[in-house]
Amino acid sequence: MDIVRANDVSRMFPMPAGPVAALRRVSLAIGAGEHVAITGPSGCGKSTLLHLVGGVDAPTDGSIVFEGRDLASLSEPGRARLRLTRIGFVFQRFFLLPMLTAAENIELPQAEAGVAAAARRSRTRELLAYVGLTERADHLPSQLSGGEMQRAAIARALANRPALLLADEPTGELDEATSETIADLFDRVNADGTAILVVTHNPSLASRASRRLAMRSGRLVT
Amino acid sequence: MSALHLAWRTVRRYRAQTLLAIAGVAVIGALLFDMLLLSRGLLLSFADLLERAGYDVRIVGGGGMTLRMPIPDSAAIAGTLRGLPEIEKVALVRILPARIAARSGASAPSVALIGVSGAASGVWTIVSGVDLDRAPGEPCPVIVGRSLAAALGVAPGDEVRINAEPAGVRSAMPPIACRIAGIGRFAFGGAGDDTVATTLEALHRASGEDRPGDADLILAASRSDAGSGAAVAAIQRARPGLAVYSNDEVIEQFNRNGFAYFRQISLVLSSLTMVFAFLLVATLLTVSVNQRLGEIAALRAIGIGRRRVAAMLLWESALLVGVGGLLALPLGELLALELDRILRQMPGLPEQLHFFVFEPRALAVHAAVLVVTAVAAAAYPMWVASRLPIAATLRREVVG
Repeated sequence: MDIVRANDVSRMFPMPAGPVAALRRVSLAIGAGEHVAITGPSGCGKSTLLHLVGGVDAPTDGSIVFEGRDLASLSEPGRARLRLTRIGFVFQRFFLLPMLTAAENIELPQAEAGVAAAARRSRTRELLAYVGLTERADHLPSQLSGGEMQRAAIARALANRPALLLADEPTGELDEATSETIADLFDRVNADGTAILVVTHNPSLASRASRRLAMRSGRLVT
Repeated sequence: MSALHLAWRTVRRYRAQTLLAIAGVAVIGALLFDMLLLSRGLLLSFADLLERAGYDVRIVGGGGMTLRMPIPDSAAIAGTLRGLPEIEKVALVRILPARIAARSGASAPSVALIGVSGAASGVWTIVSGVDLDRAPGEPCPVIVGRSLAAALGVAPGDEVRINAEPAGVRSAMPPIACRIAGIGRFAFGGAGDDTVATTLEALHRASGEDRPGDADLILAASRSDAGSGAAVAAIQRARPGLAVYSNDEVIEQFNRNGFAYFRQISLVLSSLTMVFAFLLVATLLTVSVNQRLGEIAALRAIGIGRRRVAAMLLWESALLVGVGGLLALPLGELLALELDRILRQMPGLPEQLHFFVFEPRALAVHAAVLVVTAVAAAAYPMWVASRLPIAATLRREVVG
């Protein structure tokens, strides 16, 4: 069964010189447990597609159906709830809250989802161990390395046991060795049953995916 | 992990910005608090002076409260009042300009000589010596104001000579010898005020007036079970045509006429201070939100609701304004003490009159104004954060 399906989606951005098409009639389905990578040059529409699939943006045409629900039919709080509980986001720049420790950053989405404090702490400990940050639980993001921050961000994304992990250039700010560690972690997450859609310039990271897609000028070409 | 917790961690993280906001709100809040104390300070202080005199009803002659004229047949009126069941005690007051000289030769050419009949406790406070009613057999006992006593170099038991000089009358009366019963502090006297009080009989002897019953002011105290309103009504029934005022009415008159000026000034200045506090906190919060747009967009992307993000910003504003507002209270109190000291140096003011007077109402208004300021200051940043286009902001953050 598909977790998410993009049906013929287009995304136009209004510009002073006229609308610019970032996506042109793209269709994509991601099944449970799949690991999909999208590659392509900057500005080809990779991140736009990821944002549409994640429900943080809406297509100009076409539809996104997540676990059988058309995202357009959901209210903003409904989409937020879906992102909170069924989708995990990993960003190029990590975007951990700088005033919270690694553990607190992982607890935050659980608290928003209404998970009880004891269960939150238990899940957070489990995730810190999973990403190898047990010793860094009480460190602020400013006290972590880039790789550690991204591992904390991945743990945060997994906090509410999502069905789909969306990663936008997750190794874009990391060196080669650290990127490999993150790629290994994605492999493990996928092996444990979470579907992954990653957009990346990193050929090594893309090569780990079970399905590789390329984009050019707003279209999927493979 | 509540919105308050997130706000608390945020204000702790951005310390310089937090300290700047709190210091600004504290200073602005202190000014606001002082304006609130000033807006009703004189009125409260004046009401306190009236209450402390121990009389809650005042009867004046033609000219009303501000332009006092003698009350014809005052002694008879006082007799009628004493017979009313609503009245507990009555005092007649007559005030004349006078000259006073000590045996040492020191003299004061222009003093206010107050003649009082009946119990007048509260109009002055004895600092040393005894009150008039505790000098039996003394034909002319006097209470001399502190500053005048110091200027003349006199003390209780000393003899002074007094010439009363009714206004507009060139008096040829010889001075009368009086003995100082006590040194006093007059409730309505200024710090440098030269005031002398004596009995009404002694004042009449000193002035040689042939109508000794004409007081300038009749004070009456209502019985506690009747109240001033009932006492005023009873007096007006017994002697129609008298100008009778309860203390509340006197205060209300001054509130409408004499003190409106302070209310208006304080309203304008407190409104301005509120605007400054709003601008300061709104600017700092807006700058802070603009610096954290990526963070906020990411929070919303991972499913943190608009409501929590908005609540976090509201709490940030509340913490900054709340802590600043609390610090404003002692700061404002210190500032009020200093400003009150400066203003009370104006000549002619009663020594015990204050411009800045604390009342619980001022605290409540201060708190309410700060709550409104905190909410108003957070409104725009909350709107920015909750309406943020998530995808576009994330894209900008990466490209930027």
